[in-house]
Amino acid sequence: MDEAEIIEKAKLDRKHFGILYDKYFTLIFRFVFKRLGCDEQTTGDVTQQTFLKAMLNIDKYTDRGLPFSSWLYRIAHNEVNLHFRDVKKKKEIGIDASDLHNLKNESSEENIPISKSNEELIKAINNLDLENSNLIELRFFLKMSFKEIADIYNISEASCKMKTYRILEKMNKNWGK
Amino acid sequence: MREFKENKDKNTELPSDSVINKYKDFSRLHANYDKVTKRPKKPIYKDPKLFILLLLILLLCIVFFSE
Repeated sequence: MDEAEIIEKAKLDRKHFGILYDKYFTLIFRFVFKRLGCDEQTTGDVTQQTFLKAMLNIDKYTDRGLPFSSWLYRIAHNEVNLHFRDVKKKKEIGIDASDLHNLKNESSEENIPISKSNEELIKAINNLDLENSNLIELRFFLKMSFKEIADIYNISEASCKMKTYRILEKMNKNWGK
Repeated sequence: MREFKENKDKNTELPSDSVINKYKDFSRLHANYDKVTKRPKKPIYKDPKLFILLLLILLLCIVFFSE
């Protein structure tokens, strides 16, 4: 049975959703875990909430040629944002130095050289608004491809790429001032 | 609210499959789904408003047909 058939069966009888749950749970758990700053218990809750929303709304899912995982990523992305909105205390998310190094490398390749220290770079990312910092996070810290990010935001791959590099350019410009 | 900071000491490790499997529970998810979608079955005698309404309808019927 292929995935499209399983989805159609799950629309009729939710017990078939279990196959999709088993297949994608680890993927979504790891995505949420990295975005929440490595908190296992909260990750478990947010992941369950993601699958509950998916199970409730699977009737609305239509196959537009994108992988089913991108639909789940989109729900998980929204659930993580809702979680950050609800928690009153500021939560610290750790970034590896290698991820910041990758960001600088990719920026240089796109002629946006970032010569600032890691501390200054993090400060600049923290000053971005939520939507822009989410893009930077998905691309450089979660190492997602532009195609995967574009699928989450329901935009084209080219405009996702352009948006990301514009954010880097903006950050670079603001340093000069 | 969130704030990024640099991990200076070590690389963050993703949880292992065995740790993730601890949180994987489809029966709990299905139970939550049922809780959200299925209306609780409350007997009429436990719903005072509905009970009074049905009693009134019954009394009106008796009065109407007895005349």
